[in-house]
Amino acid sequence: MKRAAMLIVLLWCAMASGMVRVVTTLPELADFTRQIGGDKVKVDFIVRGDQNPHFVEVKPSYMMKLKSADLFLTIGMDLEMWAPQIVDGSRNSSLSVVDLSQAINKLEVPARVDASLGDVHRFGNPHYWLDPRNVRPMMEEIVEALAKVSPGDEGLFRANANAYLKNLDTRIAGWEQTMKPFAGKKVVTFHKSWTYFASWLKLDVAGEVEPKPGIAPSPSHTVEIIDLVRSAGVKAIIVEPFYDLAAPDQIGRATGAKVLQLPTSIGGVDQATDYVALIDYDVRTLAEALR
Amino acid sequence: MRQLRTGVAVLIIAASFIPARVFAQASVNPDISVIPRFVVTSDDGGDVNRGKRKFSQPDFQFQELELAIQSYLNPFSRADIIMTLPGPDIEAGKLGIEEAYATVFRGLPFDLNLRFGKYRAEFGKLNTMHPHAWPFISAPLSEEKFFGESLNDLGMSASILLPTGEVYTKLTVDLLRGGSIGDATGIADTTGRKPTYANSARLMSFFTLSDESDLEVGLSGYTGIHDPYNRERFWYGNLDFKYKYRSSAYTSLVVQGEYLANTRKAMQDRTLHQFVNASDVPEERRISTSGAYIYADLQFMKIYSIGSRYDWTESPYSKDDGGHGVAIFAGFYPVEETLGLRLEYANMTHLTAGISQNVNSVALQVLFSLGPHKAHPF
Repeated sequence: MKRAAMLIVLLWCAMASGMVRVVTTLPELADFTRQIGGDKVKVDFIVRGDQNPHFVEVKPSYMMKLKSADLFLTIGMDLEMWAPQIVDGSRNSSLSVVDLSQAINKLEVPARVDASLGDVHRFGNPHYWLDPRNVRPMMEEIVEALAKVSPGDEGLFRANANAYLKNLDTRIAGWEQTMKPFAGKKVVTFHKSWTYFASWLKLDVAGEVEPKPGIAPSPSHTVEIIDLVRSAGVKAIIVEPFYDLAAPDQIGRATGAKVLQLPTSIGGVDQATDYVALIDYDVRTLAEALR
Repeated sequence: MRQLRTGVAVLIIAASFIPARVFAQASVNPDISVIPRFVVTSDDGGDVNRGKRKFSQPDFQFQELELAIQSYLNPFSRADIIMTLPGPDIEAGKLGIEEAYATVFRGLPFDLNLRFGKYRAEFGKLNTMHPHAWPFISAPLSEEKFFGESLNDLGMSASILLPTGEVYTKLTVDLLRGGSIGDATGIADTTGRKPTYANSARLMSFFTLSDESDLEVGLSGYTGIHDPYNRERFWYGNLDFKYKYRSSAYTSLVVQGEYLANTRKAMQDRTLHQFVNASDVPEERRISTSGAYIYADLQFMKIYSIGSRYDWTESPYSKDDGGHGVAIFAGFYPVEETLGLRLEYANMTHLTAGISQNVNSVALQVLFSLGPHKAHPF
């Protein structure tokens, strides 16, 4: 009887320690998962770093990715409005969808939401992964989700997460030191993607090239931004690689401000090979422009 | 008495701290969207038979208003209700049910999806697309000739993903009431007998060719009764494809086409060309006719599109009924699909009993959309 019970426990541990199949929306979530899971996880992601995560076509190939997955990790907060259709199309009854925003201190939660405000995210600004201090609560969610699928590896997952976060804390201190001379400096961004990044580095986002979120730049608003850049002494205009540069370049030519194509995701530029490299690239490039 | 009142007061205060057992579910509103379409049209077909070509006075028309109500019913199923108010008279039109169906998408054996209700059958690629989502204004001639408005019927559908490795392959089969084809392709049923069921099926595969391009191909079949008096059956076979190439976030090219083949028994295959046997007695024979369309649509600078479509078709009963032609269209969508303008020029040759009539037409369509916008399926 005892032997049978031990056998069952061992078998359960073995099954529980099998490879966890994870699909994520963004490549940085995949990076975190690999850092935590090592060879205990098989990870794939949907949105490439050079794609706008707000607008993803619902393709059957994405449903195939989820079809055999255990976990689907998302940013949440309505960033990935396309995700439910892919989840439904996967026909995977045992898929767990994990929203990593649960423990995030959310910024820019709107008091009201309607179409006159543009594409406003009703739960707040979802671009929280650009503040590396938010990686800790995200990783906690990932560890818990992985441990539910593979409880026997929870210790490994936590140890890996802690090791990564220890290194990240060192890098965070370095980035903050790099940007310390520029605290309070004003920047302009194309879209409201940089709120958390700016808040972390104590930068002031003076305005956006989009007149309202998701609305293409208009000539009149571009003129307003040119005036703003001149009057506020803005030195940098931050644009993700997947946005059109026509309006930012026009503002740059009129004001002398530098137009910086900064990625918000791994793979957005060649140098952004992982999350640390992504933030490092953004910080160094911005610091150079603000000098 | 005082002790009794004190006791009651204590009980009341104590009861206020006992959590209520609430079984009511918080209400969750469905997604509701409304999409009206208006069109201004003009053509030169009025006097073309008398050798005169002159564009008619532009006619302002209300095309259609679509009201969609969609929601999850529970974690395993969702419901879609699409009602339409058809044109041209916006005041006299009646709101009708275009589609009303429930889909079970999770929890079934073999990862089956089941759908039941009234819906556009998954036949070909264009049939499941509502006209407001087309990049052009007019329907392809082959769709009009062989389906009427659309293949839309009461029934139930089951779909399954086939084991083709990394390639998404889906087989969908439908059992339908058979009332969809009607006047466009068959004889109106006044027999009073129960309609004979129709069957539809589509096998499709989706291929990721590269990071920038994808291809979907499909093979469909449909069979139903077109002659309710003689219970004569017709068969449709359809090949479809859609190719999409995205060169950037703001630029994409779509090429899509379908070829439909029809076979049925009929008394003639052309006007005044009745089939007769050796004894000169009229007889039925099997006829085959077909139709096709192909279009290309280029979206650029995110908000503009331009495209062209070629149509060719015979009719379900006759080789000298049908038409062919070209349409050129352009679109402007300043804020995604919340507001759209489409412009279309078409040169179509319509064939009736072997006599052709060539018509030029111009149309300007305005549409707007209230409510949430779902992500676009491929």
